[in-house]
Amino acid sequence: MTIVIGFEGSANKIGVGIIKDGEVLSNPRRTYITPPGQGFMPSDTARHHRAVILTILKEALDEAGLKPQDIDCVAYTKGPGMGAPLVTVALVARTVAQLWDKPLLGVNHCIGHIEMGRLITKAHNPTVLYVSGGNTQVIAYSERRYRIFGETIDIAVGNCLDRFARVIKISNDPSPGYNIEQMAKKGTQYVELPYTVKGMDVSFSGILSYIEETLFSMLVEITERAMAHCGSQEVLIVGGVGCNLRLQEMMGVMCEERGAKLFSTDERFCIDNGAMIAQAGWEMFRSGQVTELEDSWITQRFRTDEVEVTWRA
Amino acid sequence: SSLDVPFPSSREALIALRSLSPDKEPRKGGISKEITVKDNTLSRWSADEARILRVSVNSFMDHLLLVLETMEMFSLPVSQ
Ligand SMILES: Nc1ncnc2c1ncn2[C@@H]1O[C@H](COP(=O)(O)OP(=O)(O)OP(=O)(O)O)[C@@H](O)[C@H]1O
Ligand SMILES: [Mg+2]
Repeated sequence: MTIVIGFEGSANKIGVGIIKDGEVLSNPRRTYITPPGQGFMPSDTARHHRAVILTILKEALDEAGLKPQDIDCVAYTKGPGMGAPLVTVALVARTVAQLWDKPLLGVNHCIGHIEMGRLITKAHNPTVLYVSGGNTQVIAYSERRYRIFGETIDIAVGNCLDRFARVIKISNDPSPGYNIEQMAKKGTQYVELPYTVKGMDVSFSGILSYIEETLFSMLVEITERAMAHCGSQEVLIVGGVGCNLRLQEMMGVMCEERGAKLFSTDERFCIDNGAMIAQAGWEMFRSGQVTELEDSWITQRFRTDEVEVTWRA
Repeated sequence: SSLDVPFPSSREALIALRSLSPDKEPRKGGISKEITVKDNTLSRWSADEARILRVSVNSFMDHLLLVLETMEMFSLPVSQ
């Protein structure tokens, strides 16, 4: 039996999760919500995380019904992400690892998303679409690496949605992407650019569904191409944008046409959370990895394919 | 200049040292800081000009406080 606690706070969410051999024992999380029209800045986000992280840690232990002594390994996000929030979380992880005399383990955030998706859905060897505020990647596993088959040339799909939401002052609570999804449902499906003027009123929900349709079509297309290339019959969608039901629906249609199977999760596990770091940490720890304190520095850049996947055949 | 922080014991001072040391200063060029422990006192040394020093000391204090709070809430009870 191996119990791993995971700390995540690389962007505006902060979470602590506990995994015991594939079972999520607890996974509390908070989100730093900024006013409509405003993004989140590193130092403000770090301040938010500092103010709540110890409360969340206590919640995670209490909810799991565990004492620190029961934990086998302390995992935390090493990167990629924003510097100041990453440092905040790493400081607490390093300190409790020493106080409790447990090994420490630095985890790649992207690997966390993938391993959490695999755990929850039981997808065997999927083509992975990783879509979030900071990343847009099509990934497939081969020879001890998660290899990136395609990615965005400029900004991430979630960042695109978030920026647009900021311009038209859509609420950031719980996330811009979620609110766009709700408003887009109200707009009818468009093929052409919706230009909606009624008398002296205008309507924007049509343009939101247009944006979703366009972005998601592009994502489905690159995923399908990667599947064909790898001869894969499984797709797994991970990352915050992955909880979008319209994206799941569109990907589902493509999969059905190819006789493939689609796997996805809901916001508990798609959106950044502590359990995903615990789960990737669990796999890494079981395969013999640990991080020495002096090597536990955080890094804002850390590509998915830099990590040697020591836990898969 | 140096900033000294006394801890209840050298064990705690060393834990703080190991938690605070791994990350490099984010700002390029400027800061040259060093953290050391002697007995139960943690010291932060720096030879930089006041303007950038203030920013660096502020963030050091934020980090130190978080480590102290973590120790306060999550130290294991001392076994008899
Ligand atoms: N229902 C939804 N539909 C579309 N996008 C969503 C939805 N819910 C959340 N999002 C988007 O997901 C993104 C957040 O993803 P995630 O929680 O993985 O964090 P992140 O900070 O972007 O992490 P990463 O480092 O993985 O890029 C935001 O851009 C948010 O708007
Ligand atoms: Mg993420």
